[in-house]
Amino acid sequence: MDFAISSILFYAFAAMALICACCVIFASNPVTSAMSMALCFAATAAILFGLGAQFLGIVQITVYAGAILVLFLFVVMMLDIRTEEDDNSFSVFSSLVRMAPGALISGVFAALVFLAAIKLPGADEWNNPLCRAWDSRGELCVGRQEPAASTATGNYGGALPALSPAAAAKTLNPNISNEEAAAATSIPDVKLLGQCLFSQYNVVFVILSFALLASTVGAVALSRKIRKD
Amino acid sequence: MEIPLAHYLILSGLLFSIGLAGVLIRKNIIVVFMCLEMMLSAAIVSLVAFSRANGVNGVPVYDAQVLALFIVAIAAAEVAIGLALIVAMFRARRTVSSAALNTLKED
Repeated sequence: MDFAISSILFYAFAAMALICACCVIFASNPVTSAMSMALCFAATAAILFGLGAQFLGIVQITVYAGAILVLFLFVVMMLDIRTEEDDNSFSVFSSLVRMAPGALISGVFAALVFLAAIKLPGADEWNNPLCRAWDSRGELCVGRQEPAASTATGNYGGALPALSPAAAAKTLNPNISNEEAAAATSIPDVKLLGQCLFSQYNVVFVILSFALLASTVGAVALSRKIRKD
Repeated sequence: MEIPLAHYLILSGLLFSIGLAGVLIRKNIIVVFMCLEMMLSAAIVSLVAFSRANGVNGVPVYDAQVLALFIVAIAAAEVAIGLALIVAMFRARRTVSSAALNTLKED
């Protein structure tokens, strides 16, 4: 079994994200938690890059690992929080009992997600590529499952469909010729995302900016010192 | 070997449940809040994976990525409000332990 470099990177970053997520939970010092969270977000951003969502990966790094993390660190250092050392006065058994319900609930949830993920429609045809791509119907699905049947039921079994720069260029500008489209070498991710965001979801975007404004004003109002007089 | 969609979903589910465990187990409200952020970013991973998997003609479905972008914006707004609330709570109680929030509890 040969592994592509992208697969190795995915599993490496996935392991890194999960380990750092565990570090967030089990670190007793909140600063350690915040730093582990930064690493976890960086690994998640790398996975998004691997999925071809470059803009979202960059947003993940700038907003989560940049802005949100700095806010957390600012508050942690401003409040001078004691680490949870007083919890150590209890015995190991009582701390295990305290952790048991949370661990049980999240374990059951993880098992449910795992079962749902391995029983996705079409998961039995493990080696079939997803037959959603119109331009790959002719070549990839020869001698395999009927493309019509697999698209009708929503086949999520095989590998993710390959990105097609030519089709993306055609989507962005339907007027260009097939030769010009075929010359495209990469997916114009930001342009396509912006086209979707500012046409179909423009009103939602404006409403969201008002939500951000309201939250900024609310944060200032909440953290303002209240004068007694 | 290409990565199937199921592995992305399992990663996302595991990240989400680790965050859920943190929310349920930890008492430090700041760490609980960090775990909430991890749950949101796990949701983003599965959204983007589905945007690739449902892609038509080799182009991802960008509606899912727009939704992920909105999740990031809402997370930023939520963090601003939540941390301001934590600072206000620390001013009132001099602690950030969720066990200190017991005003409504009958003694």
